[in-house]
Amino acid sequence: MDNFDIAIIGGGINGSSTALNLAKNGLKVCVIDKGSICRGASGVNAGTLTMHMTRAKLIPYAKKGWELWMNTEKWLSTEIDVKQKKGLCLAFTEEEEKLLNERSKIRKEYGADIKIVSKTEALKIDPNINSKIKCAAYCEMDGHVSANQTGYVFSKALRANNVDIIENFEVSEVSSRNNIYEIISNKGEKINASKIVVAAGVHLGKILKLLNININIKCFPQQLIVTERMPELMRTVVTVANGKLSLKQFESGTVLIGGGWPGIGNIDNDYTETKPENLIGNMRLACHAIPNLKNSRVSRVWLGLEAETDDAMPVIGELPNLKNAYVIGSIHSGYTSGPYLGLLLSEKILGKETDLSLFDIKRLIL
Amino acid sequence: MSLKKEYDVIVIGAGPSGVSAAIKCSKKSLKVLIIDSNENSGGQIYRAPPKSYVKKKEKSLKENLIQIKFSEELKKNNIDTAYNHTVWQVSPGYKIDAFSEEGTIQWKTKNLIVATGTYEKIIPFEGWTTPGVIGLAACTVMLKSHQTLPGERIILAGNGPLLILVAYYVVKFGGKIEAIIDTSKKSHWLKSIFSLVLSPQNFIQGITWMLKIIFSRIPIYSNSMVTKVTNEKNGISVEIKNIENKKLKKISTEVLAVGHGLTPSTDITRLLRVDHVYNELKGGWIAKIDKYFRSSAKGLYITGDGAGISGAVAAHDKGKLTAYAILFDENIIDEKEFKQETIQILRKLNRYEIFAKGIANLNSTPKELINNIDENTILCRCEDITKKEIIHAIKKGAKNLNQIKSWTRFGMGPCQGRTCQYSVARVAADELDCKIEELGYLTGRSPIRPFPLDKAIGDFDYDEITKVEAAPL
Repeated sequence: MDNFDIAIIGGGINGSSTALNLAKNGLKVCVIDKGSICRGASGVNAGTLTMHMTRAKLIPYAKKGWELWMNTEKWLSTEIDVKQKKGLCLAFTEEEEKLLNERSKIRKEYGADIKIVSKTEALKIDPNINSKIKCAAYCEMDGHVSANQTGYVFSKALRANNVDIIENFEVSEVSSRNNIYEIISNKGEKINASKIVVAAGVHLGKILKLLNININIKCFPQQLIVTERMPELMRTVVTVANGKLSLKQFESGTVLIGGGWPGIGNIDNDYTETKPENLIGNMRLACHAIPNLKNSRVSRVWLGLEAETDDAMPVIGELPNLKNAYVIGSIHSGYTSGPYLGLLLSEKILGKETDLSLFDIKRLIL
Repeated sequence: MSLKKEYDVIVIGAGPSGVSAAIKCSKKSLKVLIIDSNENSGGQIYRAPPKSYVKKKEKSLKENLIQIKFSEELKKNNIDTAYNHTVWQVSPGYKIDAFSEEGTIQWKTKNLIVATGTYEKIIPFEGWTTPGVIGLAACTVMLKSHQTLPGERIILAGNGPLLILVAYYVVKFGGKIEAIIDTSKKSHWLKSIFSLVLSPQNFIQGITWMLKIIFSRIPIYSNSMVTKVTNEKNGISVEIKNIENKKLKKISTEVLAVGHGLTPSTDITRLLRVDHVYNELKGGWIAKIDKYFRSSAKGLYITGDGAGISGAVAAHDKGKLTAYAILFDENIIDEKEFKQETIQILRKLNRYEIFAKGIANLNSTPKELINNIDENTILCRCEDITKKEIIHAIKKGAKNLNQIKSWTRFGMGPCQGRTCQYSVARVAADELDCKIEELGYLTGRSPIRPFPLDKAIGDFDYDEITKVEAAPL
């Protein structure tokens, strides 16, 4: 097979965004995935584009990511459903009110345009929310994407930019000789590239280990719940003070309930299993936030595996002690920020001035 | 009756296979629970009339009598029953979560028998979602359970033995059949009697059915299929086509009941991630089982038509065999007894296989039905996904059913692909020029049936649900 300028290991949102921009700059790129493109967390996440759940330090990047999502026609596709909505983060108790004030203040310091609104104001913004709230945090920069379309639009855009998409290729060995990386699959197929980017999501730790780099990657099996199509039940993206709920209604009428109530998952074989008691907890919180939601029926529950490092901050940039090898992953609220962080990494690879020091992997190496 | 939290054996589905397995296990002192979403035992074939329904005594059906016997047997053998309970989640170990009017409940069991039967297959055609078009199996539910005709003038269409059975019932209950449109050739009709009756003692009955249909002078169009349905005043217009000479004909009617065979239900086994195999003659994807109906996971058994279609009479014996497998695996009977008890049943089931093949051939979906699907015809009616959209996704690089689902939303609605998975797979396999099995199957997801949120959440205290750790900032 030909020699690629760069091979991206992992065809999720991070890898695909990086690949797309590199290809647009004339590089010969391939994206390798052990399954199908954007069929891991990138294709099954809740698609919430909110600041209310973003880690404070990542707010500046999430804002840039949000802008990219709101303008997908300029860089990705016209065929993905992105909707800007107002975001309300609710507090039901005095304790939650205190927490909401604290957290919103910190997020504001990092640049999020969040303000605390009274119960009356919140109910004016979305009359469907539970009137038992104490107060809410409000942010105009919110919305959602239909994450299931991610694979479709990225494969189309990547192919249009002459990126080779190599699916069902499970990387089992990576070696380097004469400045050329050789990537070998578990079936013995080989790919050669001058540079590599490791963007393997929950499998980041496993792939980095092949390059003798050891970091811890924790895996969170996140559960998501979707209802049947319903008439209007809510107008905003609703979250809660402690961050354990994300709730919105898509244009089709379905309501998506998430918030990180974990199920069971195994990173080694991608096995996932729901945890009924956590599903029920998540549904109760959702119905508490939007009381009329209880009249709908759940049509599907699914899980996705989310990756996190020891300090819960991303790893992005060059890999130490290796030439022309890069990493991107474990970005909290990664679906929101991924396109922007991928863009930043691609600029770094293209030799542009980029500050990624906050995400340097060296801090985490065991 | 108060139910326990844990059982030695739990059977999901109270049709003939589930009931016979439950009884066999219970006779050897195992604690058995049988769960069904219907009001009573009997499954689809021996469906009980609803309790609130006042039955006309003079039309008492043989099926209803068998159902009454099922109920008596279950009671006599001290088998706990959970009717009106819909299973929404099954997890390894085995934990079974169900909901009913009263709320949610969870049971545990070491041995789980999945006896969930089949659901009907309808290959789409232009206008198949028009009001007035119903499934053949849906039609039998109305006839058997409610003794109600779906309309005054009916066209029956499709293939498989159900066609004749439904025709017989419609005539029995005084309905007018405008026409029978059979995809099979005339020469296949005799075979279908055999496959319907399955045992010699019922042969006479099969002949009676046939004669009744023939003497009622119903126009029968063999080797023909429905190509289009359009609305018209006081009903619908059904366009039919002769597969051989391509001649078209239009017939007016009130109701079209159409069905193209049955698909084994794999919702639970797909959810449990056990191995599956593709067998077109047995109805499509089925869980991989040994000859005693053991799945690839310990303690999980699949029985009845859900383990591959062979009909109701065989289902009874399949259930028995499954029970013996459990009794042996649980060391309740020794190998000698196991062999002794199962050898006759195995022989009998082998004999059924000959008939089952007859059913299978009638059940298989001819290529013409797939070729007839116009690109603007909806395949997934929950999400309104047309054939054109499926083909588009494939042209853009989707290579398997899960990827097509993700890109188009087919199979994401309330039916979770039960109605459309087969026809989408056939269309996709044609487009990709590959075998259906190469496309894989939709990943099993809960809830197994749409789950009312108010039932799920029950009564709760807000302080209880917020005892979770806050997400890090």
